Amino acid sequence: MTPIVSYKKITKVYDELEVLKGIDFDIYPAEKVALIGPSGSGKTTLARLLMTLEKPTSGTIEVEGEYLWHEEINGKLVKAGNKHLRKMRKDIGMVFQHFYLFPHMTVLKNVMEAPVTVLGMSKKEARNQAEEMIEKVGLEDKLDVYPSQLSGGQKQRVAIARALVMKPKIMLFDEPTSALDPELVGEVLDVIKEIADEGDMTMLLITHEMDFAKEIADRVAFFNEGVIAEQGSPEELFNNPKTARLQSFLSRLN
Amino acid sequence: MWDWNYAFSILPQILSALKITVAATFSGFLLALALGLILSVLSRINIRPVSLVVKGLVQFIRDTPLLVQLYFIFYVFPKFGLTLEPFTAGILGLGIHYATYLSEVFRSGIEAVHAGQWEAAKALNFSRIKTWTRIILPQAIPPVIPVIGNYLITMFKETPLLSAITLVEILQTAKIIGAGSFRYLEGFTIVGVIFFLLSYPSSLLINKLEIKMNNQN
Repeated sequence: MTPIVSYKKITKVYDELEVLKGIDFDIYPAEKVALIGPSGSGKTTLARLLMTLEKPTSGTIEVEGEYLWHEEINGKLVKAGNKHLRKMRKDIGMVFQHFYLFPHMTVLKNVMEAPVTVLGMSKKEARNQAEEMIEKVGLEDKLDVYPSQLSGGQKQRVAIARALVMKPKIMLFDEPTSALDPELVGEVLDVIKEIADEGDMTMLLITHEMDFAKEIADRVAFFNEGVIAEQGSPEELFNNPKTARLQSFLSRLN
Repeated sequence: MWDWNYAFSILPQILSALKITVAATFSGFLLALALGLILSVLSRINIRPVSLVVKGLVQFIRDTPLLVQLYFIFYVFPKFGLTLEPFTAGILGLGIHYATYLSEVFRSGIEAVHAGQWEAAKALNFSRIKTWTRIILPQAIPPVIPVIGNYLITMFKETPLLSAITLVEILQTAKIIGAGSFRYLEGFTIVGVIFFLLSYPSSLLINKLEIKMNNQN
């Protein structure tokens, strides 16, 4: 099977700090991949590069066989222009740790906005689809509420609906529950689990919730100091960690 | 000293010139808002020559007097083939001058919008223009409306400068009346009172608006 996402020799350097040190990593269609590892190990950066929020320092990323950050013009590989990036972004969605809902819009408007503005959908159609997504995350009674009146868990569920309504093939979850009070984590994980169980979507989940990673991931990759130190099935990684790094990471969590 | 009969006799003439003052204020301010917004967006664009030129221009206009700029537009532009009516020259001068202040106001509003809003817009594949018009500006502008209102009042009070380029607004009208009758007290007093009566309630309104907005946040 050909990968839907393929990172090749990816590095990312901020000032002097090398956050990613030559990552080769493939993600397959409909696969659920969990990225775990200590903070600052590079896992969030890997997702941000795919969402085109940041540019790799070197290396290439391919999405569905096409370069993400480069495009071919007259047989030469050049830096991707805005038009190319917008085309590539169509298939990718992201859920952020801090939600980033639009505070000046109601829940319904938050979810409707991109289908209308970006996809050019009619308001009526966008409203139908938005309501469907909001119902899916269980917030149909909050349609006309502004984000400031929602709990963190509710905000994150709206953010998930907002990303889902664009029907991305690949969804990135960047520590979706890390900013939440412990009692609100469950409701967000339930929603993510539901999406995962539907099966079709390729998911990249960055998380510190090891039980959850074990439950939904087909594959887990352990990041440490800018490299993937170990990867494999959840059973392999969690029950039988091979590297000392992962062993000490897991034992520190328990 | 003060002659009520005389004051009432010249009041209609001064009030009719108020139309010019108010029209110049609002036209100039609309121009300043539009230009100011354009300048603030341009200064954020990631093309170095553009943002440098914009910043230099803004600095230059802010650090030279409005009166000099008005003279330049009215008396020097004709040398380059651009002859303007006093009213047009006036709103152009006011508009450009205040645009540089308003661009700073807009800039502070834009910078106060959380960086995550840009990222969320990008992740949802918004175009650059739609990111500005649908996401950033609707959040950046409401908090700075009180400051914008204060600039409107300041600019209103600066309109007598336009008399220097022969625009017959209320101060110039009072001056002409005085020159004809050799009585200046009533005319200039009326002008001062008119400015006060329009500025003071407006500033109260803006204060109220500011308190309301602070409570919302």
